[in-house]
Amino acid sequence: MTKKEFIDLLFEKGRLAGIEDMEVFVQRNSELELMVFKGEIDKFSKAEEEGLSFRGIYRGKMGYSYTEKIDETSLNILIEELISNAKVIDSEDIEEMFEGSESYREVNVYDESFQNISTEEKISFIKALEKEAFNSDPRVTAVDYCLFGENTINSIMKNTKGLDIEDKANVAYGYISAIVKEGEDVKNGARYVVSNNFADFNPKKLANEAVKEAVSMLGAKSVKSDNYPIILRNNAAASLLEAFAPIFSAEQVQKNLSLLKDKLNETIANDNITLIDDPFMKKGVASKSFDGEGVATKYKRIIENGVLNTYLHNMKTAKKDGVESTGNAYKASYKSSIEIAPTNMYIEEGDTSLEELISTTNNGILIIELQGLHSGLDIISGDFSLSAYGYLIKNGEINRPVNQITVAGNYYDMLKNIEEVGSDIKFNLPGYGYIGSPSLKIKELSVSGE
Amino acid sequence: MLNKSVIEAVMNAALSIGGDFVEIFVEDKRNTGLILIGGNIERAMSGRDYGVGIRIFSGTNSVYAYTNDSSKENLIKVAQEAALAVGGVKGDISINLIRSHVRNNNEILIMPNTIEKIKKVELMKRAYNAAKNYNELISQVSVNYMDREQNVLIANSEGLLIEDKRVRTRTGISAVASKNGEMQTGRYARGAHMGFEFYDTINIEDYAKESARIATTMINAELCPSGKMPVIIDNEFGGVIFHEACGHGLEATSVAKGTSVYSNKIGEKVASDIVTAIDDGTMANAWGSQNIDDEGTPTKENVLIENGILKGYLVDKLNGRRMGVESTGSSRRQSYKFAPTSRMTNTFIDNGKSTKEEIIANTEYGLFARYMGGGSVDTSTGDFNFAVMEGYIIKNGKIDKPVRGATLIGNGADILKKIDMVGNNLDHGQGMCGSISGSIPANVGQPTIRVKSMTVGGRKGDK
Repeated sequence: MTKKEFIDLLFEKGRLAGIEDMEVFVQRNSELELMVFKGEIDKFSKAEEEGLSFRGIYRGKMGYSYTEKIDETSLNILIEELISNAKVIDSEDIEEMFEGSESYREVNVYDESFQNISTEEKISFIKALEKEAFNSDPRVTAVDYCLFGENTINSIMKNTKGLDIEDKANVAYGYISAIVKEGEDVKNGARYVVSNNFADFNPKKLANEAVKEAVSMLGAKSVKSDNYPIILRNNAAASLLEAFAPIFSAEQVQKNLSLLKDKLNETIANDNITLIDDPFMKKGVASKSFDGEGVATKYKRIIENGVLNTYLHNMKTAKKDGVESTGNAYKASYKSSIEIAPTNMYIEEGDTSLEELISTTNNGILIIELQGLHSGLDIISGDFSLSAYGYLIKNGEINRPVNQITVAGNYYDMLKNIEEVGSDIKFNLPGYGYIGSPSLKIKELSVSGE
Repeated sequence: MLNKSVIEAVMNAALSIGGDFVEIFVEDKRNTGLILIGGNIERAMSGRDYGVGIRIFSGTNSVYAYTNDSSKENLIKVAQEAALAVGGVKGDISINLIRSHVRNNNEILIMPNTIEKIKKVELMKRAYNAAKNYNELISQVSVNYMDREQNVLIANSEGLLIEDKRVRTRTGISAVASKNGEMQTGRYARGAHMGFEFYDTINIEDYAKESARIATTMINAELCPSGKMPVIIDNEFGGVIFHEACGHGLEATSVAKGTSVYSNKIGEKVASDIVTAIDDGTMANAWGSQNIDDEGTPTKENVLIENGILKGYLVDKLNGRRMGVESTGSSRRQSYKFAPTSRMTNTFIDNGKSTKEEIIANTEYGLFARYMGGGSVDTSTGDFNFAVMEGYIIKNGKIDKPVRGATLIGNGADILKKIDMVGNNLDHGQGMCGSISGSIPANVGQPTIRVKSMTVGGRKGDK
């Protein structure tokens, strides 16, 4: 059975079973992941996978099901599961399927040039990456992760209301984590690159940065517990933003799980903060022309000069709030139902360099990494208490490395206490959207150490 | 799931090109997930996962490939591409698959797919009502239900051909308490390698109330003070501390590479004398149990640390080749989309001699972590961090008052040596553990323990 035959048959059988509007979302993914360890290939994983997500309105409720196998058995499973899932839905929300936007802005997220790069060249890249790390400092004892990965995703969305759209994207990443040792002191440092252009993969630069950071942490020790002015380096600020990104989802707001409820048009951050969701961003890994419901995506300023302008919506939450969808419906995969997520979301850069942020800090801590982001914070209350490391700043200069500390605060409070915004925006590895931030100087946070 | 002759053909096709070992993993899995928020079922998703993973070794080189297309032609193509990539000289191996059967430690009485969804929903609504009606501070409750039936077939060129069925279910309750514009969340989840009969062995309402009690306690709690102090970690899910601080470092994945702090330390003292730690994949119907691991090796009880001395690691076949030791039945993976590697199953610190009451009474000042949240560890340095979901300050040997927002940080190797009291009330909690072979169900466990001194990160500054 071809995929097209399968979909046609599914819609036909579904209609006979009493399902009104129906939609399929098919995702095909080709993937390659390579790792080296001490010059040998440690991981070589190659995949061709496909999954089909089915959703449809049965007696006014939206039902979902999915399969990874296109066969007769799956056809029945899809229909039966969709109906039994729709039957247990209590939500009184009016469900609808989308016939398509008038126009979709083209985004350039597929770069063909990667097809001309052979597997050997990719292996050479990671071998060089590992070698550069060992060459850059004698204290490097191991490179525990040295990998290259790429995937190409084709998605098709088709429904019985006439929607029929397709998307193709590719992305590749390189990652290195180097371990350095001096006496009994072991530290590590990591760097990554995310791009769909192989020219961006520079082994020497990545390896040197990772090792330099690991070495810079040797001899780190804790600090006295106290409140300190804090600079969150770009990557750390982006990690924190990513962890708290769900607070901007209209679904969280409507379900009383975000303290941004009733805060539209109010000041929620210092006026130097503008937060943007840009699905058309150049080199944006999350760039897309349509969202998980087929709605055309939009550029928006979620926070503008400290004022909350909008939440992120899908069709259902938008209808509830009497606004238009912001094009942020999100399906994490064909196994997921429709949720809400940012696309390329970032805090707009200011014009102060990280060096200037440091030089104007008398006594403080520059945090270069936050850990335990999946557990050390409460998205609902905004409270966080996170393991961190970085450098102590004294009289405007980096004094020594610091570890075994936690920084604690409340994200909502912190947004209002951002004194300065750096000019060094950086994006994290893609996850719940593709999230970026410049370095941020916070008035103070509570630090626990000695 | 896949015909024996097809498997043999695929293996032969691979070995005719290269490699000295071929393994085929076929998975056919049914998943159900239901989410209830504020009394209403908001999401219901179910479906079928199906795919085939092919792994080829040549010495210690390994190549993994997977696909959903299980036609013979496609599998041969995928296997040959993989064999080409693994390189090495082609061996002279003849395949003779002999079907074997698992020793079943995990009897399943009621297959989840035979239960109508509405019954699952009733269970969730009972949990919801119990939490929501706990008291007037509870403003929101969500309940998350899942079940899955995973059928696997594992075959390898050593002649193994075995099938296993893993059935798991888990229900989590999350209650939010609100007061004066603030919110605090209490969470509790219970799961097992069981069918729907699991819910006859527990009363879900008790756990729902417990989540509401945690949220209520925390909304009334002060901010936790910061600094170094003795920390008592309660039993059950408190075992997450051993899981993160030490368990990951005992996985052959990092041991074989020499990047773990526990590499080459067998027979050495790594913890205080009163610490014995075990990973046991054979516990009947436990959340992290399996009859066989994901390479087809029967699971077993592995003593990791005995009276403070490091006794063993968790080893899979590939890392076993690197280390020159046998597999310990510890190879696991989320699905056919991941090559398997050494992982934990049900891991716990064994019972000691103290009672929980004695441990508290012997502590002049410190933190009592009643329930832990999650945590993470950097295996190369051993540095870890954990969130405390429900904590109390102890003063003069008594629980003084609840505190919120505490995080525990430290170094695994260091903390194991600082455990100075171990209770006698071992119990287990259920978590999902994420690592390079994906997210897998794992039990963590321990009796109540005390760590002499630990850095507590709170928002209240110094004590």
